Amino acid sequence: MSSSQPTVRPPLRLALTSLLRADFVVFLKNRRTLIVSILLPIFLLVTTNSSKAVQHFGGALFVIGLAIAYGMAATSIMGYALTVARDREKGVFQRLRVTPTPTWTIMTSRLGMQVIANLIIALVVVIFGTTLHHISLSAGQYGLVLLVSILGGAMFLSIGQALVGLVKSADTVNAAGRLLLIALILLASLGQSGALGSAWESISTWTPVGIVMSLFAGVLNLSAWNHTDTLSLAVCVAYIIVFAGIGIRWFQWDAR
Amino acid sequence: MTEDMARSSDTTGNRARANPMKDTVQVVRGEQASTYVIAEEHDDGSLLLMPATSDQAIAEPNPEHRASAVADRQELSEGQQHEPSTILEVSGLSVSYGAKKAVDDVSLQISRGEIFGLLGPNGAGKTSTLSAIEGLVKPNSGTVLVDGIDIRSHPSQAKAKMGVQLQATSFQSQLTIKQIVRLYAGLYGMKLSDPEISDSLKAIGLEGEATKPFKQLSGGQQQRLSLYIAVVHEPVLLLLDEPTAGLDPQSRRQLWTRIEHLRQQGGSILLTTHSMEEAQAVCDRVAIIDNGTVLTTETPQDLIQKHKHDPRVREVAHGEVTLEDVFIGLTGSEIRE
Repeated sequence: MSSSQPTVRPPLRLALTSLLRADFVVFLKNRRTLIVSILLPIFLLVTTNSSKAVQHFGGALFVIGLAIAYGMAATSIMGYALTVARDREKGVFQRLRVTPTPTWTIMTSRLGMQVIANLIIALVVVIFGTTLHHISLSAGQYGLVLLVSILGGAMFLSIGQALVGLVKSADTVNAAGRLLLIALILLASLGQSGALGSAWESISTWTPVGIVMSLFAGVLNLSAWNHTDTLSLAVCVAYIIVFAGIGIRWFQWDAR
Repeated sequence: MTEDMARSSDTTGNRARANPMKDTVQVVRGEQASTYVIAEEHDDGSLLLMPATSDQAIAEPNPEHRASAVADRQELSEGQQHEPSTILEVSGLSVSYGAKKAVDDVSLQISRGEIFGLLGPNGAGKTSTLSAIEGLVKPNSGTVLVDGIDIRSHPSQAKAKMGVQLQATSFQSQLTIKQIVRLYAGLYGMKLSDPEISDSLKAIGLEGEATKPFKQLSGGQQQRLSLYIAVVHEPVLLLLDEPTAGLDPQSRRQLWTRIEHLRQQGGSILLTTHSMEEAQAVCDRVAIIDNGTVLTTETPQDLIQKHKHDPRVREVAHGEVTLEDVFIGLTGSEIRE
């Protein structure tokens, strides 16, 4: 042991790089979650490929938006929240917290990997969906798809953060996450298809999945961008602020 | 206390240390000094000693080998001699969980090169005290200075001076041992190359496990890796929460040898343990804590001397009073949750 230690903290850049590298390895080893999160929306696109089904959801662009929202919700709520809850329960965060690295870098690194996952899901689903529905996109539209993916992904991540902030046990996060995901999927699917009536259709429009659907449909067809899309953008930001606030305010690093 | 680990206690609780450059070493027990020949010197710093013949003992009567508090301090590197001797200063520390007061006005000081044991029954407040020192829990009051740096106002700087081994260490299960070492070295500001990591793992006997995940290691291997990661940045203070819990005697012995080795290099160590025998053997001073309050702080020998006539201690002692008798006498015989 040396007593001539520097009194300054270790370089932040090196700490963040180390965390990102480790989280990327974990991300690659957890690729099954990512694959499932991609397969789910692709399955949805394939099963709703008929013109009747597409009409039910308001058009092909909405179906693509719905599919992306499912994928991002699955990876953010089930993937991110559950991993955080399990690592917290195992004491992984406590071990990281006794190092000099600031706690925000630990979460930033994890969220960064999740953003990458969301972008991959969005791109794969958009490419598959537009090919399936014979829609051609410009480079600018792909850029907008990436922006909406980041925004929509942030919203689902904030929901995941709120879940893991409010619920301590990993098992409960797992169960609550599944219920939440199923509820969001059913509400959006049945609501948007009109099967539950006009009142539920309006409600489903302003659920997180409904908002992401509107935003993707909006950027995939910019000429049809309307007041509802602008409002969806504002509500999306509001959801992020509220859920992230809850997730940060009540998050505990230690499960005990 | 074992002879083959080249340490023993004199009346002040300090220990003899082997000088690897010499062939013999003197071990002091109480007032009696014995000379041993260094038969083997292991990579982990431990020595195998054999009693010296009278010729060998006379041939090398090196007074520098005699352990004493003064010698211990003098043998530290020159740079350390001019630095403040107090490495950890805890003053008036209180921690509460809701209405429960886990730590109540705890104060303690640890000097450079000292092994300090925090002893207490389950739920006494040991881990909470350590957690507050580590910056894991926010104390209600009190200050924690690590080498003069306040953990609350400068957490990163203070943590950079500490090495921590938690009671139950867990790393991301998807990472290999090599990746774990690289991650934690980076978090402590050290960029290790592949050969450096391989050398490090070889030094702790884990060269063949580099590509395995942490959970596939045995208890002893996990402990070695955890300790290595705790000291990868060469901290001035090492905090160990029940480091020998669940280890077999061989792994325990090896761990204490490593801890002793770290101390010899000038590091200060604060540890908690339930093993009174170990505390008596390795700690320079111990504090007994119960119900969040420090009951006493002494060298193990002084603690025994001071309390050996205490009726509570006499009641539980069987024959010669040990540190465990004093501990049970002071904290009570009832089983804690």
